[in-house]
Amino acid sequence: MSNEVFQLFAEGFWNTLWMSLASFAVALVLGAILAMMHVSPAPPARWAAQVYTAIFRNTPLLVVLVVFYFGLPKVGVSFEYSWQWALIVLSLYTSAFVGETLRAGINSISLGQAEAARSIGLTFGQSLRHVILPQAFRTVVPPVGTLYTALVKNTALTLILGFQELSAKTEDMINQDKAPVWVVVVGICACYLIINLPTSWFIHRAEKRAAFAR
Amino acid sequence: MSNQHSTVLFDALGPKGRRKVALYSALSALVVLGALAWAAVTLNGEGFFDQQRWVDALDQLIVENTYIPGLLNTLEAAGIGCVGAVVLGALVGFGRVSRFKAVRFLASVYVQFFRAMPVLLLIWIPFTVLNHLGTDINGLWYVVVGLAVYNGAVLAEILRSGVNALPAGQAAAGHAIGLTHGQVTRLIIFPQAFRNMLPAVLAQLVVLLKDTALGYIVTYPELLKMSYQTAGSYPNSFLQVLLVAATMYFVVAYALSKVVSLIDKRMRRKVARPAKAAAVPVAADVDTGA
Repeated sequence: MSNEVFQLFAEGFWNTLWMSLASFAVALVLGAILAMMHVSPAPPARWAAQVYTAIFRNTPLLVVLVVFYFGLPKVGVSFEYSWQWALIVLSLYTSAFVGETLRAGINSISLGQAEAARSIGLTFGQSLRHVILPQAFRTVVPPVGTLYTALVKNTALTLILGFQELSAKTEDMINQDKAPVWVVVVGICACYLIINLPTSWFIHRAEKRAAFAR
Repeated sequence: MSNQHSTVLFDALGPKGRRKVALYSALSALVVLGALAWAAVTLNGEGFFDQQRWVDALDQLIVENTYIPGLLNTLEAAGIGCVGAVVLGALVGFGRVSRFKAVRFLASVYVQFFRAMPVLLLIWIPFTVLNHLGTDINGLWYVVVGLAVYNGAVLAEILRSGVNALPAGQAAAGHAIGLTHGQVTRLIIFPQAFRNMLPAVLAQLVVLLKDTALGYIVTYPELLKMSYQTAGSYPNSFLQVLLVAATMYFVVAYALSKVVSLIDKRMRRKVARPAKAAAVPVAADVDTGA
């Protein structure tokens, strides 16, 4: 593999990796806020979270990308770089799924746990910190990990914005005959496997641990 | 999560608590409405709500030549893709739970590999490579094959977990009364696994439908591609045309996922549970039903 091809792969790999990690970090924060809104006793907060979640869960990511990137500048919302759009759309989209997962995690704890915590006199904050969240956390780690692998794959869609991640690099390499096709195909598959296989292994381990802990 | 019941987080509220919640409700309603109003005013300033823009975007010409054919193409790709994915998923899925180690291994390599790949790549690498070599195939087939191969892997995994979720006693009981392996699979395991996994399979097929939007990349004229092209020739209604298309996707996917969750609720009652879970069936149902 020539040096230039390696350079292209490395660039694409790095861009995919940092974009997925950065948008995942933002999505976790937004998702946590959404989850709080989901379980809030105030109905308007719940409704807002439900509408947000329904919209992003039922619209294809590519459609969201196209509407945001090509459509929003028409109403005066624009950013200079395509990575900004990629980051915004990926985090907004993923946060809907994170919120749902966290909500399901909180709801998966049986009522008795919470009632027991309150009946021994723990305050709201204490029962959350010592009883509910530790259990919820263990339950949600595997599904949240799965969301990360999905996000890595979704990052590929940002090539339509011209963001130079792995899949965009492949097109360049194939179309400009920089390397034999098979080298490019094997290389790109290897890159995605390098990111995703360790993640799924970690998820698998976390699943087993969560199963033992009950 | 009504205020009359206690939940994981809150006890049933007393009069003071209810007043507090009413106050927070009013506050959060104000925040939500405020954000919406701000967005509306901003958009209005940019002429987003100009009547003409929406009338143009919903013009009969566009409806007949863009939205409807686009949606039909989307549904066609989704339909063929679903059939392919289910066939592949069944083949590989049964490979995953096969008695033979080699078959299990091959099936698991298939699943691991394709689940780690972006669907986009599976549609797009064949497209780029074949285009580069100068072969011209209808874009539909790139979409269908890519989606079938990827979702086949996902469905295979669903099938495997559907089979594995059954208590081991089910198969053991079948063998004990003298059924052959094939009979156990056909008469005992599969019917129950089918009920177990049907909701997950249907949910995945809805995802497949949404993913047909990737046809945009291989210039298959599905809803997104056609709307994007049309939008290009209506500079004043550009965003509006795209939003109509997005709404169509939303309506189809939302309706289908509601149907799936209905089926999910009905199917839940009919499958054998492990002995441990069976001791507390009520709690398990309450958690998932909420």
